[in-house]
Amino acid sequence: MPNRYTFQRRLPYLLLAPSVIVLLALILYPLAFALRNSFWFWNLQTSPMPLYHSGWDNYRMVFQVTPFAVALKNTLLLSFLGTFAQFWLGMGIALLLHTHLRGMGLMRAALIMPTTLAPVVAGFLFRYLLEPKGGLLPWLLEGIGFPVPPQGFLGNANTALFSIGLVDTWQWTPFFAIVLYAGLLSINEEIKEAAEVDGAAPWRMFWSITLPLLRPIAAFLVMIRFMQLFNSFDLVFVLTSGGPGTASRTLSFNLYREGLVNYNIGLTAAMTWLVVIIVSVIINLYLFFIYRKREW
Amino acid sequence: MRRRSRRDKVTIYALMALVMLFFLGPIFWFILLAFRHPSEAYTLPPQLFFEPYLGNFGDTFVDPGNNAPQLLSSVIVSTGATLLSLPFALAAAYALSRFAMRGKEFIMNWYISLLIAPPIVFVIPYFILMSRIGWAGAYQAMIVTLQTLAIPFSVWLLKSFMDEVPLDLEEAAWVDGAGRFAAFIRIIIPLALPGIIVTSMFTFVFSWNNVIFPLALSKQSTTTLPVGTISFFASTGVYWGHIAATAVVAMLPPMIIFLLLGRYVVRGLTFGAVKG
Repeated sequence: MPNRYTFQRRLPYLLLAPSVIVLLALILYPLAFALRNSFWFWNLQTSPMPLYHSGWDNYRMVFQVTPFAVALKNTLLLSFLGTFAQFWLGMGIALLLHTHLRGMGLMRAALIMPTTLAPVVAGFLFRYLLEPKGGLLPWLLEGIGFPVPPQGFLGNANTALFSIGLVDTWQWTPFFAIVLYAGLLSINEEIKEAAEVDGAAPWRMFWSITLPLLRPIAAFLVMIRFMQLFNSFDLVFVLTSGGPGTASRTLSFNLYREGLVNYNIGLTAAMTWLVVIIVSVIINLYLFFIYRKREW
Repeated sequence: MRRRSRRDKVTIYALMALVMLFFLGPIFWFILLAFRHPSEAYTLPPQLFFEPYLGNFGDTFVDPGNNAPQLLSSVIVSTGATLLSLPFALAAAYALSRFAMRGKEFIMNWYISLLIAPPIVFVIPYFILMSRIGWAGAYQAMIVTLQTLAIPFSVWLLKSFMDEVPLDLEEAAWVDGAGRFAAFIRIIIPLALPGIIVTSMFTFVFSWNNVIFPLALSKQSTTTLPVGTISFFASTGVYWGHIAATAVVAMLPPMIIFLLLGRYVVRGLTFGAVKG
C-alpha cells in the first residue's frame, strides 16, 4: 500500500512539526525583528515606531555608547573561571561521595539544594551574607584578619565580578558533583581493579582511566554550564546591577540596560545580532574541538 | 572496595562537613532571617537562637499581603507553561524515540541550542510584540514565550523516558490490530507516565524559577513571586525580613519537588543525557 507507506515515512516529521513550527515562530520573530530594527533609529521613550533609517550607526554605537567590550570581557572571564571552578570542585566532591562511607547518600541528596533555588533567590542569599555592615561573611573574614573592602565585596570594582562567580559556583558546583558522581558509578569497576592489580597509583588511575571515561558526560556538562554562565543575567541583576560602574556588567545585562531601561530598541537590536554571532561562534568552536573525534 | 584507614575516613568526613557547611549554611542562614524581627537582621555577633517572629510572613502574604497575588501568578504561569508544552513535546519525543529518520541528530541538537541561547536576546522583541498584540502584562505572554525553554527541555527528557519503553509491547499491540495512535495512547503513555510526571515537575520548576520573562513581560498584577522579591529594592531602604519571607516561600516548591524527584534529579538536570 503506497499510501500507507508514505504516511509512515512522513509521520515522524508530522509529529515533529508542531513543536518545530512553534519554536521557529518564537525564535525567528525576535531575530527578524532585531535584524530589521538594527538599521533603524528607534527609542521607545520618544516614539512608538522606528523613526528613521540609520544605516550601520547602531552597530557603531554599540561600541561607543555602551561598554560592550568590557561586558564581553567580563562575560568571558565569568564563564571560563566559573565553569573551571565548578567542574573541578564538583569533581572533588563527587570523588568524596564515591567513597561510599556511611551517610554519603543522605549528604548527596541534601547537597542539591543550592541548585534548586531560583538564581534570584541565590542572589539575595548572598547579598545578605555579603552586606558590608552586618553581613555574616565580612564579619567572619574580618575576624580572621582577611581584608574586607569598605564598600563590601559587591561594591568594590575588583571583587564584584568575582563575587558573582562565587555565588554561581555555590549554586552549580553541587550540580557538577551529583552528575559526575552518577558518572563515576557508571564506570566499570573491573577496569579499575585491573589497573590496580597492575600497580597503578590512585592519581594515575584518575587521570588515565576515570577522567577519560567521564569525558562524554563532562563535555556535555561543561558546554551547558558555560553557556548558562555566558547568559548570566539574574545574579548580576540582583547582586550588583553590573556595577560598580561597569565592573561586573555582562553582555546579557548590557542588553537589558539598553533595551528595557533606556528603551534604545534600535541599538539593542544591533547588539542582539552581535551577541547571537558571538554565541554561535563559541558553540561551534566548542562542538568542533570536543566532538571532532567520533570515539571518545 | 578498598579498605580505608581510620585517618582517611576522618579526613573524608571533615572535608564533607566543610562542603555541607558551605553549600547548606547560606540557605539555613537566610531561612532564619525570615523568622527574625526586622530590627535583628544585622545583629552581630550572629544569634543562632532567638524568639521566632512571624510578622515578615504576615506582612508579605496576609496583611497587606502584597506578595500573595504573586504566589498565585507563579502557580498560573508555571502550570500553564508546563501544560502547554506537553502535547508538543510528547509528539516530538515520540517521533525522535520511535522512528529512524534523517537529520535526527541535527534536530536534537537544534532543541539543545535553544536551551543554551541567551534568553535576553528574545525577551526584548517579545516585549514590543506583546504590547502590539494586546498581551502586555498578560499571563499568556509569559506562558507562550516560556515555551522556548519548556518545549526543547521536555522533548529531550521525554525522549529519554520513551526510549526505555520496550518496542515489543508496542509491536504486540499493533499485531492485535491497534493503530499507531491507539498503541501510543494505550502503551506508551501509561508506561512512560512516570517519565511524563517527572518531566512536568522539572518544567514546572524551571518555569517557576525563571525571572527574565516575567520581569520583562508581566505587569504589577501578574508578576511572579521571584520577581516580587526584587521589587523590595525599589522602595526606600532594604526590608530584609520581607525579602527573606518572600524568597523562602518562593524557594519551597522547587525544593520540595527536587526532594520528591529523588533519583531522577541527575537525569532531569542533564535533559535526560545522563541516566543517573
